Amino acid sequence: MTEKFHYDNKIVRNFALATIIWGIVGMTIGLLIAMQLFKPAMNMGSQYTTFGRIRPLHTNAVIFAFVGNAIFMGIYYSLQRLLKARMYSDILSKIHFWGWQLIIIATVITLPLGLTTSHEYAEMEWPIDIAITIIWVVFGYNMFGTIIKRREKHMYVAIWFYIATFVTVAVLHIVNSIQLPVSAFKSYYVYAGVQDALVQWWYGHNAVAFFLTTPYLGMMYYFLPKMANRPVYSYKLSILHFWSLIFIYIWAGPHHLLYTSLPSWAQSLGVAFSVMLIAPSWGGMINGLLTLRGAWDKVREDPKLKFMVVGLTAYGMATFEGPMLAFKQINAIAHYTDWIVAHVHVGALGWNGFLTFAILYWLIPRIYNTTLYSVKLASFHFWIGTLGIIFYAVPLYFAGFTQGLMWKEFTPEGLLKYPNFLETVLQIIPMYVMRAIGGALYLTGVIVMTYNLVKTMKAGQLVANEAAEAQPLPPVYVAQGDDKKLHRMLERKPMIFMVLSLIVILIGGMIEMMPTFTIKSNIPTIASVKPYTPLELQGRDVYIREGCVNCHSQMIRPFRSETERYGEYSKAGEFVYDHPFLWGSKRTGPDLQREGGKYGNAWHYNHLYDPQTMSPGSIMPPYEWLAEQKLDTTTTRVKINAMRTLGVPYEKGYEHQANADLEQQAKAIAADLQQNNIKVKSDKEIIAIIAYLQRLGTDIKAK
Amino acid sequence: MKEVINSNWSTGSTSADIVIGLMLITAVMILCVAILMLKVIKFYVKESVNPTPFATPEEKEKRRLEQQALQAIKDKKPSIWTKLMQLKPLEEEKNLVMEHKFDGIAELNNPTPAWFMILFYGTIIFAIGYLLTYDVLGFGKSQEEEYIAEIEQAAESKVAFLANPANVKNAVNENNMEQSKDEAVIKNGASLFANRCTPCHGEHAEGLVGPNLTDEYWLHGGKAKDVFKTIKYGVPEKGMIAWEKSLSAQQISDLTNYVLSLKGTKPAGAKAPQGNKE
Repeated sequence: MTEKFHYDNKIVRNFALATIIWGIVGMTIGLLIAMQLFKPAMNMGSQYTTFGRIRPLHTNAVIFAFVGNAIFMGIYYSLQRLLKARMYSDILSKIHFWGWQLIIIATVITLPLGLTTSHEYAEMEWPIDIAITIIWVVFGYNMFGTIIKRREKHMYVAIWFYIATFVTVAVLHIVNSIQLPVSAFKSYYVYAGVQDALVQWWYGHNAVAFFLTTPYLGMMYYFLPKMANRPVYSYKLSILHFWSLIFIYIWAGPHHLLYTSLPSWAQSLGVAFSVMLIAPSWGGMINGLLTLRGAWDKVREDPKLKFMVVGLTAYGMATFEGPMLAFKQINAIAHYTDWIVAHVHVGALGWNGFLTFAILYWLIPRIYNTTLYSVKLASFHFWIGTLGIIFYAVPLYFAGFTQGLMWKEFTPEGLLKYPNFLETVLQIIPMYVMRAIGGALYLTGVIVMTYNLVKTMKAGQLVANEAAEAQPLPPVYVAQGDDKKLHRMLERKPMIFMVLSLIVILIGGMIEMMPTFTIKSNIPTIASVKPYTPLELQGRDVYIREGCVNCHSQMIRPFRSETERYGEYSKAGEFVYDHPFLWGSKRTGPDLQREGGKYGNAWHYNHLYDPQTMSPGSIMPPYEWLAEQKLDTTTTRVKINAMRTLGVPYEKGYEHQANADLEQQAKAIAADLQQNNIKVKSDKEIIAIIAYLQRLGTDIKAK
Repeated sequence: MKEVINSNWSTGSTSADIVIGLMLITAVMILCVAILMLKVIKFYVKESVNPTPFATPEEKEKRRLEQQALQAIKDKKPSIWTKLMQLKPLEEEKNLVMEHKFDGIAELNNPTPAWFMILFYGTIIFAIGYLLTYDVLGFGKSQEEEYIAEIEQAAESKVAFLANPANVKNAVNENNMEQSKDEAVIKNGASLFANRCTPCHGEHAEGLVGPNLTDEYWLHGGKAKDVFKTIKYGVPEKGMIAWEKSLSAQQISDLTNYVLSLKGTKPAGAKAPQGNKE
């Protein structure tokens, strides 16, 4: 007495189309920002298309739109088949699909407008954050509904990974999004400085772990054995690497903050757990590659399997490189350089990209009940994609290494060999050109794939509802033999499984974060550090809006090369009023932590208005509009109030006086500019940002 | 009396040495020939007692098959890769297949390879060692201690550098600076000026954001020592950058000399005088 039912292929198709479309969009923006790095004119003279504003658009589009939709495509396809059940609710599936697309569209609109929280890979403002939470719950509800009404006794390893993905991303997103709104599209993070940095990188690192890794491992466990028609190599290995991976990954975030003012014990935890991650990460790779044992002849002919093999290899390389980069000594050279950019792209282009392509090539012909239009074109895609990755990564490794060493080089006189930061940038510009060529090759491959898949779809007909049948689960299940073993039992209990995963990932997160939040001695206070003036606070928000943090760090590490170049190294106590922290993660330009007082106001004005005048050859785009746009001072009051709520000690009632102080400070700066023959009204945004820049790092300056 | 050089290998006479050498070589050759001869005699005796008949085509075929079987056994021996990964032969796979399939996907119950477990436990032990070193036992230097050591090291090297008479020029500072009109010095200063100073002072030092440097008026003193000091430490409140971190003492001195040489050049578009006449 088998039951007859239908798989929902339409939702899979929709997510597949979204994957392709957003993939092209995200990668095109990537190509644009890559070109902006050697040709500032590509910023197109508009504030909506400058590097600072659209770089987050690229990362979010690729991570959450391209990879996100690919994850849902893979999960909706494999989950139904692995559980022998249609998705729990068609309506929830639809809400999930359209909700996710709307979130992406909202992001595409708001980020170029400068509405950003500045937390990397989570730049969206609070209304979008709430929408993400709701849609994520819809997805989870739909998934667990399906799992519960399944016709398969046990949950296959792919599903374990899907469950871990769901719970962890939920926790990450919520903890990282706790903000205090000040208006419909502006908010301040509740955390400040060091704590905010820790939360951000706990989130940022685990977005890589639980959005770019675990769901893909799950998909690998379904699609690879299907494509190769081979059994999965080792069930034991899947259990071991699943639990060790999710337990250990969550601790490794602080390796993004080595040599910063994060307490030393937290940094060490980050390093130690990164090293322990090698084996669990590789567990997935070897289980995949060994599944291909006895099928290597197929790999030679089938582009899908080629994509899979290169994808898995890229995963293995990136997950070996990660722990290596987490060593203090290597991190000291690589951090803030393009080395890191190359590293993440080996993962993104190789692992996520190639696995996605393989799945698309496999899945589209199946749900359209036809064969792939052209295997040759798919092969071409494979080769041009691989070439693209090589062209992308190799020059950037070289660039990162070169620049990292140049920053640290001293002359025999004891001076920096390259005191001018720009010199080190000009050195690597040819590498940036090569990288853009690599990106263009990769994108070409994707466009070829799109053509191939469209032709395939046209040749076939979508099987929107695919007939299937299976035995229902017996109402009472009596375990026998191997089914009595512990993990087998767990595989029959989805809710317990979810709670266990949750506990496993919470342990690391709690142990790392709680002490930083509760123990005062971790962040020694500095009496001379005072809150920002209203004008500086507004200027800081302009700085955030323009995405300056994408190119400039505000974290001087305790190295001779950095204190010589920038000034005294950063202390944890300096950032206690920084909601959010703005330490940055990549230096395309110099660090700005001690910028205050280094140059005159006129220098900053000229530099912002046209960077080339003050720094010939600079790749920073001109920010002319800052000198034309009026600073919005109507928000000063709510901002001061919000900051006070968050613990910044503005006196009671100061919000009423704030704008008067703001005007006074602005007038003083305008008058100083006037003396240097620069005529600008005191109510312009440029005045505020100059005020902020001149304040940076001055609180603890000697004298 | 000259002592004869005598090593263990030499009798002291060259001709005697050569003769001994040749005799040794001949002895080794005779030994080789003797061994070969012995083998030939053994073979001859064996064949005379028990001669081998000529092989028929069937026998040849049989031998070929035997050879083939031997080769096949050899092929079956696991490769280094298989051994390294501790893989079981593919034929044994069916014994490892687990009882049920998921949408047609079977799972094998291969054990996790030993090397993998060594890697896994190895990294755990390493991580514990790392934490103990840096944060429990305090053997490892903290980043602040590393920084102090780095700075001390740099200070020592600088002292050593200045102690070398060839580098004495670099010992110049705002107290011992003397003006020089040496052409090479001025030329060097000019190229430094073109690279670093023109954005603010103009191409010919006529003054843009910064003041005119060609007139007789000075904001912070116009003597060589004053100019040196202004360049070295800057006047941050007025926008003049401190150059001590990016220019060597000698470079600052050259630059000072160049600036002083500009007095009275009257460039076009000169900025109005600022400061006091000197």
